[in-house]
Amino acid sequence: MQTQVQPKQQLSERAGYFPVSGAHLYTVLHEVENPVARVLLVGPFASERHNSFLPWVRWARYLAEVDIEVLRYDYRGIGESTGVFEQMTYADWRQDVRLLSAWLEARAQRVPLVLHGLGLGAVLAGNAFDQGIGQGLLLWSPPANANQALRATLMRWVGLEQIFKFGDDRKTASDYIRELELGSSLEVDGYRWSVELWRESSSFTLPAALATEESAASAYERPVKIVRLTRDAAPLVKGGLVGYDDLKDFSWLYAPNREWIGAIASRSSQGVAHA
Amino acid sequence: MHNAIENRELIVLDGLGIRIQGTYHVPPSVLSHVALGQRSQGRTGVLFLNSLSLPRAASGDSAVRWADSIAERGYPSFRIDLPGLGDSGGSASTDLLDSINAGGFAPVAAAAAKELVDRFGLSGLVIFGHCAGSVSALYAAVASKEASGLILLDPYFHLPQAKRPRVREELSDWARRSKAGRLLSNTYDRARNFLLLLRGSALPGNANSQLLARWKQVAAAGLPILLLKAPGIKAHGSRPRVGEFDYTGHALKLAGRKSRVSVEFVEGADHSFANWDGREAVQRHIEEWLVSHFPLQDLNRSAKRAVPLRAGESQNDSRKSSTAPADLGCALEGR
Repeated sequence: MQTQVQPKQQLSERAGYFPVSGAHLYTVLHEVENPVARVLLVGPFASERHNSFLPWVRWARYLAEVDIEVLRYDYRGIGESTGVFEQMTYADWRQDVRLLSAWLEARAQRVPLVLHGLGLGAVLAGNAFDQGIGQGLLLWSPPANANQALRATLMRWVGLEQIFKFGDDRKTASDYIRELELGSSLEVDGYRWSVELWRESSSFTLPAALATEESAASAYERPVKIVRLTRDAAPLVKGGLVGYDDLKDFSWLYAPNREWIGAIASRSSQGVAHA
Repeated sequence: MHNAIENRELIVLDGLGIRIQGTYHVPPSVLSHVALGQRSQGRTGVLFLNSLSLPRAASGDSAVRWADSIAERGYPSFRIDLPGLGDSGGSASTDLLDSINAGGFAPVAAAAAKELVDRFGLSGLVIFGHCAGSVSALYAAVASKEASGLILLDPYFHLPQAKRPRVREELSDWARRSKAGRLLSNTYDRARNFLLLLRGSALPGNANSQLLARWKQVAAAGLPILLLKAPGIKAHGSRPRVGEFDYTGHALKLAGRKSRVSVEFVEGADHSFANWDGREAVQRHIEEWLVSHFPLQDLNRSAKRAVPLRAGESQNDSRKSSTAPADLGCALEGR
């Protein structure tokens, strides 16, 4: 089996630190000379970042190959970004999206900006879009709220944890959720989830209009695409084997989504020509 | 966008034909010398390699924390993404684990070490690896003249089966869930132990002989090596599970009397070492070991001293005692 998507050798990728209040966001700009569109990738949360890292980076490169400029980044307090994870709030992470969108949009050559979120990133991107940011929105497996995203992360972690425990030592996801709801923080895959992170997760929701493409079409005049990923898309969603599934061919997922972003760019350029 | 912040600098190694992205954790004392045109002259640095397909931050961003703390103590630290991994260019092999177990990353890791030593004026580099990363680190140490030490977290010396048959997975899960399963599992362990006794000191069929030979080469030559072990499945302390070959014991025998191998059992750590107890214990062990084997002397008097062990605490034991989980994606799973 070979990886199908081979990035151009000459594509420019620039890593950098973007200053925000009290921290620096780690960013990677997949720079394009004459972009037809720009995409801000709002990735999955905490440990999910690591699980989905390779297909996420390859997606960015896949887009850059056809002149779509991409900015991807790490949430405040996660990965290469600075900040203390357990002190971060959804408000901080919402601000990250706003600031980076503004930075990306302000770059020379005005082209459509598309927000693309995965998992919890879909909730963040959806909220930014609802606030009027971006000319298009692509959501992969958007949960109804942040709590659903946290539960999915917790389930994956519990599944791993149980491999190394026997009988009564094995705790279920419900046991851990009970602990969180009783006011104890929980360490999940090296990240300490605060009680506040858990409590506020239910009220941090995807805007109701983004429940389906139909409802989004009637609520917004800007295009929205929603893709529910199945296990075939592991490790972008739960499942698969680390070190193997993250190297598999994802062109079946990438191609139609890239086409959809390309169509936004085409419509925009036609609009400019008509004007 | 900035290329550097207070104590970190993003670096690209481009002398290898592939763009290697990395992060340099700058010691505070070096920061004060940069204005004088000096970099990290004469110091020993630490180079972190990826664990299997994980990005250079590692599980729970543990490598970021360790590199920060090591730099704080005065040792320049570098985390790089090997080709095809993380933010680096190139394509990883789709048989990643097999490639790593055969030393596939050794040439590029050794070349990266050379480029870092040259660029930052280091005296050498301690190569750090976890799980599959420790296999790459070990191969790289043989291939690199710049390697001055090794830090290996849960290295494995066998050729693990990456994809176990589904039936076996389900059987294992049942054994962990039920009392009957546990009994069966224990009986299986005893049967394996009997076979192990019959075999004597002979290596198991799935031993990675090539890697063991490399280990012997560097360990017997006296390269300082810190080997940290987390509690394994059904293991008793630092001893392996009943019926499992004692690779660590075997490796120590191969290393011989003149070797400088320190083995520490990190109780309370999970296999990722990213859980907080594990992470803190690893940090402590690394700092103590670096100070002991690579003293900074007067290069950085301003560097903080390593935190000493608490009273009554053994050198070989960490603070907490619960056995924690490992990472499913790890090469050790399924051994």
